[in-house]
Amino acid sequence: MSTYEPMENLVKESEQLRKRILVCDDEESIRLLLNEALQDTYEVVEACDGREALRLATKEHFDLIIMDIKMPSVHGLEVIERLRARNNNTPIIVCSAYREMEDDIIIKTSNVAAFMVKPIDIKVLKTKVLELIGT
Amino acid sequence: MNKRTILLLRFVLILATILVMAYSKRGLDIASPSYVVALLYFLTNLVLYFIPETKLSRPIITFSVFLSDIIAISLAIYFTQGMQTDFYLIYFLIIFIASVGQNIRGSILIAVVASALYGWLLVQSNPGISILDSAILIRVPFLFIVSLISSYWSVMMRKQLRSTKELEESAQKLQQEVARITAKETELRRYSETVIHSVASGVIAVRGDGTITTVNPEAARVLGTTQENLVDRKIETIKGLDTLWQKMKKAINTNKPFERLQISIINADDIIVPVGLSVSPMASPDTKFKGCVAILRDLSEVKQLEEKLKHAERLSYLGKMASWVAHEIRNPLTVIDGFSQLLTQTSNKEKMQTFSSEIHKATQRINHIIEDILTFSRTKTQVKSSSVNLWTLMKEITENISGIRIFIKGVENPNVKGEEESLKSLFLNIIHNSVDAMDKDPKLIIEFREQTKWIITELTDNGKGISKEDLKNLFTPFFTTKSRGTGLGLAIVKKIVDDHSGKLEVESEENKGTTCRVFLPKADAS
Repeated sequence: MSTYEPMENLVKESEQLRKRILVCDDEESIRLLLNEALQDTYEVVEACDGREALRLATKEHFDLIIMDIKMPSVHGLEVIERLRARNNNTPIIVCSAYREMEDDIIIKTSNVAAFMVKPIDIKVLKTKVLELIGT
Repeated sequence: MNKRTILLLRFVLILATILVMAYSKRGLDIASPSYVVALLYFLTNLVLYFIPETKLSRPIITFSVFLSDIIAISLAIYFTQGMQTDFYLIYFLIIFIASVGQNIRGSILIAVVASALYGWLLVQSNPGISILDSAILIRVPFLFIVSLISSYWSVMMRKQLRSTKELEESAQKLQQEVARITAKETELRRYSETVIHSVASGVIAVRGDGTITTVNPEAARVLGTTQENLVDRKIETIKGLDTLWQKMKKAINTNKPFERLQISIINADDIIVPVGLSVSPMASPDTKFKGCVAILRDLSEVKQLEEKLKHAERLSYLGKMASWVAHEIRNPLTVIDGFSQLLTQTSNKEKMQTFSSEIHKATQRINHIIEDILTFSRTKTQVKSSSVNLWTLMKEITENISGIRIFIKGVENPNVKGEEESLKSLFLNIIHNSVDAMDKDPKLIIEFREQTKWIITELTDNGKGISKEDLKNLFTPFFTTKSRGTGLGLAIVKKIVDDHSGKLEVESEENKGTTCRVFLPKADAS
C-alpha cells in the first residue's frame, strides 16, 4: 500500500502544476461533458450558476473560464462585467446557444477570449483552450 | 244686406216717393212741404253714405233707417194727400226692403209702425171711415202679413246662406288642416327615413309574417343588393338570410330582444359575411302591428383585423419558438455530440455507461421538447369526451414523483368530461412546476371539489411562490423564470384547459406557496 503514497503525492503535485479551468453552466450534462473532455489535461472546477462562478473566480485562481450566458441567479454577462470590474482578467470562453448574443457580448465586454455557439464541437473547444492557455 | 244695397234701395224709394208725389191728387207744387220731406229723405241717404258699414249693420241703426223711411213716406203721403192714389203700395216696398234688411223682430216693428201710420193716414184722409171699411180691414192686415212672410222668408234665406257659407268655410278649413297634417306627416316620415338611412349600422324591419318593410342602405350593402330588391319581399324567400329570419322570428314569438349575437349571412354575391346582430320585437298595444327590427353590423373588417392580429401573433410566436427550439435543442445536441466523441476515446466501462446514459437523456430531452411544441401548436382539437376519473389519474401521475409528500383528498369519483392523455399532461405540468418551486419540506396537497357543473382540482404547494410581475406572464408561451424551463409548460396547461372549456385560477404568495385551481366540466351522470 505504501508504494502508492509517492504516486498520490506525485498526482497532487502535478495537479498543482496543472492549469485550472472553471466550467460554469447550469446544465449538469454540459458541465460533465466539459469536465470529461478537459480533465486529462487540466484541472476542472465546476460552477452550477453565475453566483457560484463569481464566488469561485474571486476566491481562487483560474487560468480560464468557460461559461454559459443564460443562467439562473446571476446572468453570464453580469458575471463577466463584475469580474472585469474587480480587475480579474482571466480569459473567458463564452458558450451560448444564442448566436445572436455574440455581437452583444463582444460589444459589452472586453477580454472575452472567444465566443462559441452550441452545439460545441469538443475538439474545436480543446484546440481553442490549448491555443489560449497551453497545457 | 250691405251698405250699397241699402243706399240703392233707398234711392229707389226716394225716386218712387217723388214720382208718386208728382202724380198725387195735389200734383207737383213747388211750395209743397213734401219737397222738404224728399230733400231730407235724400240728405239722410247722403249721411248714410258716410256711416261706416260696420255701424250700419247694427240692428238699432238699420231699424232707425227704415223707421225714418216709413215716416218720410207717410209724411210725403200726408202732404200730397196721396191716399187717394196707389201711393200706399210704396208701403209694401219699404216693408219688403225692411224685412230683408233686418231681423224678424225689427221687421214686425216696422210693419206695426207702417200699418199704424197707414191706418192713421186713412182716417186723416177719410174722416168718419168705418173700421170695417175694406181699406182698413184688408190693407192693414195685408201689410202686416206681407211683412211677416217676407221677413220670415228673408230670415230663412239668410240662415241658409249663412249655413252654406259656414259649411264652405269649414270645408276650406278642413282642407287646410288636412294639407298641413299631410305636410307634417311627410316631413316626419322623411325625417325618420333620413335617420334610418343615416345610421351606420344596417337596419331591417319586418312584419310578423316576415315581409320586409324597411331596409336602410347599409343593410342593403351588407346583403349585397339594393333596397328596392328587398322591400316588400318575404325575408324567408331570400337566400342566405335563414339564420337572420330565425332570430327575428324568435324575437317576435317570445316578444324579447336578443342582443350582441354573432351570425353569418350569405349575401347576394355568395360571400359569407360575419355579422353582429341585435333584434328587437316591435309591437304596440294600440295597433295590431307586430314585427321585428334587426340592427346589423358588418364584422368583416373586424374579423379580418382579428385574423391579421392572430397571424402576426402566430408569426411572433413562430419567431420566439424558433429561437427557443434552437436554444433548447443545442444544449442536448452539444451533449450528444460531445459524449459520442468521448465514447470513442475511452475504454473505461463505467465511463462508457455514464456517457451513453447522458446521450440517452439528451435524446429524451429533445423528444420532450418536440412533444411540447406539438401539444402547444396543435390547433384547438375537438376533445373526445370520455369520462375521466381524476383521482385515478392523479394517483397514476404522482406515483413516479418522489422526494415530496403528496396528499390527495376531496370528493370521491371526481369524474370529468375530457381526454385522458391531455388531462395527464395538464396536471403533470402543474405538478412539475410545483416540484420545481419547492425545496424545504416539499408538500403538495391535491383536493377535488364539486361545484355546480364543475369539478375543481385544487393543487397547493409550499414552494417559493410567484411574484406579482411573473403572475401576469404565467401563461405566456416561452416565458420562463427557470434556467432550463421550456416556457411552454403553463401555456400548455392553459391550452388544455381551454380545449376542455374549463377555467384556471392561480393564487400565489411569495415564499409561502402557490394554489392552482383547475375547473373542468363534470362528466354526465350516466
